[in-house]
Amino acid sequence: MLKPTKMTRVVIAGTKDLMEPVISTFHNLNILHITDFLEENETFKIGKPLKPASKMSEYLLSLRAITNQLGVKGKESQLSSKSGELQSRMDEKISTLQKEVSSRFDEIRNLEFKIKEKEDIVSSIKPFFGLPLSLESYSGYGSIKVYTGFIDTDLELQLSKITSKFELFTGEHEKRKVFALFIPAVLADEVQKLLQDERSYSELKVPQLIGNPPIVLDGLSREISDLKQKYAQTKAELDNIKNEYSEFIIAADEYLSIETQKAEVPLRFATSPNAFIIDGWIPSLKYDEMEKELQKNTGGLVHLEKIEEDIKEEDIPVELENPSLAKPFELLINTFATPKYGEIDPAAVLFITFPLFYGIMLGDVGYGIIVAAMAYFIKNKFKTGGLNSLALILFLSGVLSTIFGFIFGEFFGFPIFNMEVRGEMEYGLLGIAGPVIAGLHIPVHRFGEVQSLLLLTFAIGIMHILLGLTLGFRNHLIEHGLKHAIFAKGSWMMILIGGVLLIAKLMPALTSKLPMPTGDPVFIVGGVLAIAGLILLIAGEGFISILEIPTILSNVLSYSRLLAIGLSSAGIALVVNTLSMNLFIRPNGVLMGKGIVLALAGVVVLFIGHLINLLLGILGPGIHSLRLQYVEFFTKFYEGGGKKYVPFGYKRKYTEE
Amino acid sequence: MVLDAGMIAIGAGIAVGLCGIGAGMGEQAIGAAAVGAMAEDEKFFGKGLLMTVIPESIAIFGLVVALILLFVFNA
Repeated sequence: MLKPTKMTRVVIAGTKDLMEPVISTFHNLNILHITDFLEENETFKIGKPLKPASKMSEYLLSLRAITNQLGVKGKESQLSSKSGELQSRMDEKISTLQKEVSSRFDEIRNLEFKIKEKEDIVSSIKPFFGLPLSLESYSGYGSIKVYTGFIDTDLELQLSKITSKFELFTGEHEKRKVFALFIPAVLADEVQKLLQDERSYSELKVPQLIGNPPIVLDGLSREISDLKQKYAQTKAELDNIKNEYSEFIIAADEYLSIETQKAEVPLRFATSPNAFIIDGWIPSLKYDEMEKELQKNTGGLVHLEKIEEDIKEEDIPVELENPSLAKPFELLINTFATPKYGEIDPAAVLFITFPLFYGIMLGDVGYGIIVAAMAYFIKNKFKTGGLNSLALILFLSGVLSTIFGFIFGEFFGFPIFNMEVRGEMEYGLLGIAGPVIAGLHIPVHRFGEVQSLLLLTFAIGIMHILLGLTLGFRNHLIEHGLKHAIFAKGSWMMILIGGVLLIAKLMPALTSKLPMPTGDPVFIVGGVLAIAGLILLIAGEGFISILEIPTILSNVLSYSRLLAIGLSSAGIALVVNTLSMNLFIRPNGVLMGKGIVLALAGVVVLFIGHLINLLLGILGPGIHSLRLQYVEFFTKFYEGGGKKYVPFGYKRKYTEE
Repeated sequence: MVLDAGMIAIGAGIAVGLCGIGAGMGEQAIGAAAVGAMAEDEKFFGKGLLMTVIPESIAIFGLVVALILLFVFNA
């Protein structure tokens, strides 16, 4: 918690014949973060991949191609296959698969193409149904030119102006006039011009086929249905292959991925003609386990050494370490940046503040329960990965929203308890006055207590920023020493605290025209603190840093969103409720006073309104709560830029050793 | 008194409206850049979303001013 996992740098050296068992051991342990060997010199070169590497990648390539062609997906297999079995059948199975699948796949492509081609011809024949000619009679003439196409005007009339030597056939297709015109070739230019000037003319190409159009079409349709049948058959065969082999394909993919990974890892080692050296990092707690395992598998013939001197912090890989409840919040940290090794990992802080801010902003029992229920559903549906983390974050946020909803006395924007707000009595759903819990009169009405709630949000902001500055102080203390920490972070803390004391005393004086509280000890302490902080800041960071002072003010003011977002969401809910209740469902206090139809319309308005508000209510508080963390909180201490810990290994899902 | 309340309501409206326009002007440039970055690499979604909502503070300041006008000064 708060600190990344402690890492130890290890160097492993041995003779080359031991390379394979060493690689296997580390691959199984899945804990070594290998530092790539980059600078070759006379003695040490970058290692070469193990022998099976090229063959394995070849297999993998063909297997992936088959996977794509068959459309095999990861989740279809649950069984574990033994690695040894897989290996022995690999060659034979992949080559049969390749033969069976790729020929069928090609055939399917081919069939698809043919079907498309035939269908194109069918659609090009259809217009000729209206003309009493067989298809071959449109071509093959020496001295006659043939025009075919659609036209809307009376062609015969226009042609008669040019010549009387023509033959015109007309018919109809899909409510347009089709024509075939035969004229002497010498008149071609003139007729061509006539047609081109005619706007409604569009040319039709005659397919190169023989026979009457209906008969030709009949033949084509039969061919197409034959092709389609063949297509379905081949597709079914492919599906059969998929069902039969998908388990093998998934397992083999995993096996080959692992083997390729192992075979190619020497590219990250330093090797001499007879020996190899691996440089890397492992979590310090795992060192003993690793040492035992390594000696067992190599007969103690490998040299293992911890390196403790000459370590640069930026080289150490960072693995965040948090209790399981705070773990999902690492997602929010990693979205921003991986922390440096020596830095504070704020996931545990976010675990408290993120849902808290979200809850204050959403603050409605109804919305809170829906958010929590939805998150719970998603969490159970996706057991791993980012979505699972997000769901847990949302679940906690939903729970906090429900709690704050109770405190604010809101249920889908309806008041829960009876209360007098700004001189008017408001009747709640429960019809009773709110309880008093630990001296707090529930409900704390958000619209009634704007002023005090606003001050409360500023107080939360000041605490949050002070916490950030404290963490920053600690980071600077470790990285640069006490003097620097006081200049960079201590000064800001003094300015913030001093400023708050000053303003707290100054505000009443300014608003009610009282005399300046110059004699007040709190005021004096505040002034002294603020000025001292300012001097320290200028001494440490230079005169230009004065420009940053307004930033801290706007940072604190920014926390007013805790109230503002909530009020706008509560406001929308109020509008929806008032609109649907007073206008449709219960006009003038009479249930269904304007008929059942309007009452039902009111229910629809109520539902859609709350749905939109709920969507806004999930997004808005989420983003703004995150923004308060990233912009206001993280900037006080967080630098990031650490290297992520990526251990060499693989989490087996479908195979076992 | 009625006139006062009206003036306060108009003031609150102006505060929210102008701040909204300002925030929008800020967000348009950032939003466009964020979408561009996301087209390059989808991992920028988180950061892009965040950058885009930074000017939203301005809108919230406007909202706060409006709330103070309506609920504190109006009381």
